[in-house]
Amino acid sequence: MLRATLKGMASRKARLVLTSLAVVLGTMFVAAAMILTATMEKSVTGVIADAFTGIDAVVTPAEDPAAAQGNTPSANLVPGDVLETVRGVDGVDAADGDVSGQVNAIGDDGKLVGTFAPTIGFNWNAQSTGFNVIREGRAPEADGEVIVSAQFVTDSGLDIGDTVTAYSYSAERADYEIVGVFGLSGDRDSLAGETQIAFTTAEAQRLLTQGEDAYMAIYVQGDASTEDIADAISADYRVQTGEEASEEAAQGFAAVADIMGYIFLGFGLVAVFVSVFLIINTFTIIVAQRQRELALLRAIGAARNQVVGSVLAEAAVIGVIASIVGLGLGVVLGWGLSELVSSTAMGGLPVQLQVPATALWALAVGIGVTVLSAIVPAVKASGVPPVAAMREAVNPPKPLRGITIAGLAVTAVGGVLVVLGLTDNLGDLGLSGFLSGVGIAFVGITLLTPILSRPLVALLGAVMSWSFSGRLGRLNAGRNPRRTAITASALMIAVALVTGIATLVASFKETTTDLTDSNLESDLIVMGQQGANIPTFAPETLAEIKALPDVAAVGDLYGEFFGAEVDGEPTPLYASEDLETSLGIFSGTVAEGSIADLPDDGLAVNESAAEDRGVALGDTVPVTFADGTTEQLEVTAILDDSQLTDGWWVAPTQIEHFTIPKPMQAYIQVADGADIDAVQEEVETILADEPEVDVTNNADFIAQQTGQLDILLGSVQVLLALAIIIAIIGVINTLVLSVLERTRELGLLRAIGMTRGQARRMITVESVIICLFGAVLGIAVGIGLGWTVQQALEEEGLTSFALPWDYIVIYLAAAVVVGLLAAIAPAARAAKLNVLNAIAYE
Amino acid sequence: MSTASPVKTTAVSAEGVWKAYGSGEAQVVALRDVSVQFASGAFTAIMGPSGSGKSTLMHCLAGLDTTDRGTVHIGDTPVTGLNDKALTKLRRDKIGFIFQQFNLLPTLTAEENITLPAAIAGTKADPDWIKKIIHTLDLSERLSHKPTELSGGQQQRVACARALATRPEVVFADEPTGNLDTRSGAEVLRFLRTSVDDFGQTIVMVTHDPGAAAYADRVVFLADGRIVEDMADPTADKVIDKMKHFEELVAAARGESA
Repeated sequence: MLRATLKGMASRKARLVLTSLAVVLGTMFVAAAMILTATMEKSVTGVIADAFTGIDAVVTPAEDPAAAQGNTPSANLVPGDVLETVRGVDGVDAADGDVSGQVNAIGDDGKLVGTFAPTIGFNWNAQSTGFNVIREGRAPEADGEVIVSAQFVTDSGLDIGDTVTAYSYSAERADYEIVGVFGLSGDRDSLAGETQIAFTTAEAQRLLTQGEDAYMAIYVQGDASTEDIADAISADYRVQTGEEASEEAAQGFAAVADIMGYIFLGFGLVAVFVSVFLIINTFTIIVAQRQRELALLRAIGAARNQVVGSVLAEAAVIGVIASIVGLGLGVVLGWGLSELVSSTAMGGLPVQLQVPATALWALAVGIGVTVLSAIVPAVKASGVPPVAAMREAVNPPKPLRGITIAGLAVTAVGGVLVVLGLTDNLGDLGLSGFLSGVGIAFVGITLLTPILSRPLVALLGAVMSWSFSGRLGRLNAGRNPRRTAITASALMIAVALVTGIATLVASFKETTTDLTDSNLESDLIVMGQQGANIPTFAPETLAEIKALPDVAAVGDLYGEFFGAEVDGEPTPLYASEDLETSLGIFSGTVAEGSIADLPDDGLAVNESAAEDRGVALGDTVPVTFADGTTEQLEVTAILDDSQLTDGWWVAPTQIEHFTIPKPMQAYIQVADGADIDAVQEEVETILADEPEVDVTNNADFIAQQTGQLDILLGSVQVLLALAIIIAIIGVINTLVLSVLERTRELGLLRAIGMTRGQARRMITVESVIICLFGAVLGIAVGIGLGWTVQQALEEEGLTSFALPWDYIVIYLAAAVVVGLLAAIAPAARAAKLNVLNAIAYE
Repeated sequence: MSTASPVKTTAVSAEGVWKAYGSGEAQVVALRDVSVQFASGAFTAIMGPSGSGKSTLMHCLAGLDTTDRGTVHIGDTPVTGLNDKALTKLRRDKIGFIFQQFNLLPTLTAEENITLPAAIAGTKADPDWIKKIIHTLDLSERLSHKPTELSGGQQQRVACARALATRPEVVFADEPTGNLDTRSGAEVLRFLRTSVDDFGQTIVMVTHDPGAAAYADRVVFLADGRIVEDMADPTADKVIDKMKHFEELVAAARGESA
């Protein structure tokens, strides 16, 4: 029986190659995701381990060092006397303190240096050498000297002998002479694209520990055990071996690669999901074609389960071969992606390729999916009666009632899960509930596609029926609703996913635009361009802007995002020098109390936040600032809920307790009739000495807010491209089969005068209709999905719903192109058909 | 009878046609120097045992297959040497086909199948003519039915209507009754006869059934790739009688060419 199976497979090579491609693609992406994650982790760990070479122990504050900021309270530092104690421990050969943190350095363009601004600042000491290699010049010897990394030189446009201005959140600007340039071991310019600047220890402490003689960590060399060191110092400090510290440090860096890995795993799983349809379809087709052969096998005594086994064996062979090929290609793709991630996001990190054991899961997925998908067609095959061998194969279309009812039920289950997942009814399982709901809904909709195909194909086909061959193509597309539906489903799922995301992005843009247009009463906005940190500017600048003749009003915003607490719970705080004006610009309104002259111990909060914490007008609430000060503040105003003004507002006198006591944003109202562009230029002049912020008009502001989403949306299209490949394979498969099945029909048409061109057009129209059907359905489902999510997020601020018209048009056009491409080979086959063979009898 | 008419034009003619398949040892010569004329307005049957070359002859005459040597004309048009496009146009405009089975497109109704050649050509079929054929074939009640809803005989009658719909110079019928019961077969043959007598249609029919051949004006016997007998005004008995002595005919034909 196996022999017969294998021989049969050998005679259907083309179809097998096409089916295998789908499995290969799915397996490839899953494997690549695993490999990317493992490779990046290994590569990052390797580099970090390099950095810790020769360090035997590390002493850090017992509290979470991740909370460390430029002006960290001394509780998060290791004082200088601990360093002295450690140096005295038996077996300690050397110990140095590390001072590091974020420093803003100004490049020759007047703006902050580095793509990942700010720059990493640290103290250059004996420990620094080894991993850091001086390439040119020398180490800083005086407080006015610095050595910078090679990446810093590249990004800043400054070099040895130049003067660089640097400052931190807590220290004023100072000028430094660049006396040296260093690279990282392995001849790298940076670890991951970051810029670095190193000072003397005293200067680093002035910038980063508010001048205190303290360190972020102490690095120890020698054979002293971690216990010995720990015994010598207070329990407030944690002692780790060099390896432990290295692993901890690597984890943070690997996170970027992890995210990439998840994205590709997602793509891989979608590819696998989509290929399930393709595999089911192909095997159904193979079984249909082999009906007489299978009937003959049954007639000469093969048992039902032998027939099932024969089909499953075929699936297993495809699954194994395709999965192995997929795994191999996955290794290549994973390596390529690792190089790409490394060069774009990690500053040229050397890649150490890793193929983890988990990559073998891709094999299991590939084989499992292929065999499982073949079960239904296999069981169907066993139902072929022996007598079918003696008859001309006739496959009357089956009624669609059962499949439609099942589809409705499954779609409903999926829909309920989606809604439950979105509405927090599933708690922590919300996201997985939502995602599995989407998956189940897709299966349900797929079951519904045959019934939907009838009216939709007729409708789409009507557009195509301008020629007679087009009309025949349309009729052919509607001939086998199940096959048309399952073929279109692959495209439907992919288009639905990308349309869903595009719909959400469009809705978000619409919401942002609405908010800006209807709620923001300002014409110009001063804010930072950098995404990673909180850019601020000097408070004096606000006064200068207000003083401009054409400026009517200026709203300002101070923020505290680190470690402030309201009533014991971490909460961001906001403040404005003139809350009344600012609220006016933000179209904020007061529900209760008053915000005029907010008293020093006053507090304004929006309604729903107040409700959440159970506070009301007149209540007194303890507010703790990041610098440790706690004040009892009285709620003197309750604001109406509004996205732009929601939050806890304190009096301007409290700003001095903020981590960064500088304004983050300013909103400028230009006087009526004044030229906005002219005012923008004036503000630009005022901001010339403010490296962290720029002034933009409202249109640019919206573009900036939504720009990152466009990048996200662009990268999601990769998913579509992937699905398109699989969809093309699926459509080719179906069309080739149709041409085969209708050989006689084509022969007849050609005999009575259909030209080759007409035959080609007929197949092409069928192909385009199938693809358009998939795309239209996918767009509809995607819009539904996007709408559901938008409705669920309306409370969170996603108030507008918008359709991504540009993408919808692109997807429809893509469907037509896919249809045309997929039809090329089958149409050529139909056109080249030998009329004589086609009409000859057996 | 129309065969008696003295002014007879030739609808189809073959001149010295050779056709072989395969090469070397496996070569099979299907037609050996066949020359034959089919008069317009006549109903001719081509008979012969399996492998005699009767289907090949019909395919060559109809422009479905190419000849190795010799020439074929449909009316004044030389078929030999035409490219695929010209052949397709020739088949569309000047030839009607009736096959043994699978004559109809399952997606189209009976009426759409009848007007299929015109639709392919992008022209409109002559409605009066179509009406007349449909009436003659008694298909008026079945026009909106799909082929699967028709009996075998009805399907073949639709195929006949389609073959005549464009008023072709010649209709080639390849075993048109091969798949039908006797009664349905007789209906189809009667219609073919009628179309010759009443509409002056030229018909060339390949068959192995002496009863079917008896409807024709003339029977051409083929054996071993050669024409071995040309019989006018056949009856079933005459045909059966001829077939009984077929071995002798073949032997004689071989002797002649040797």
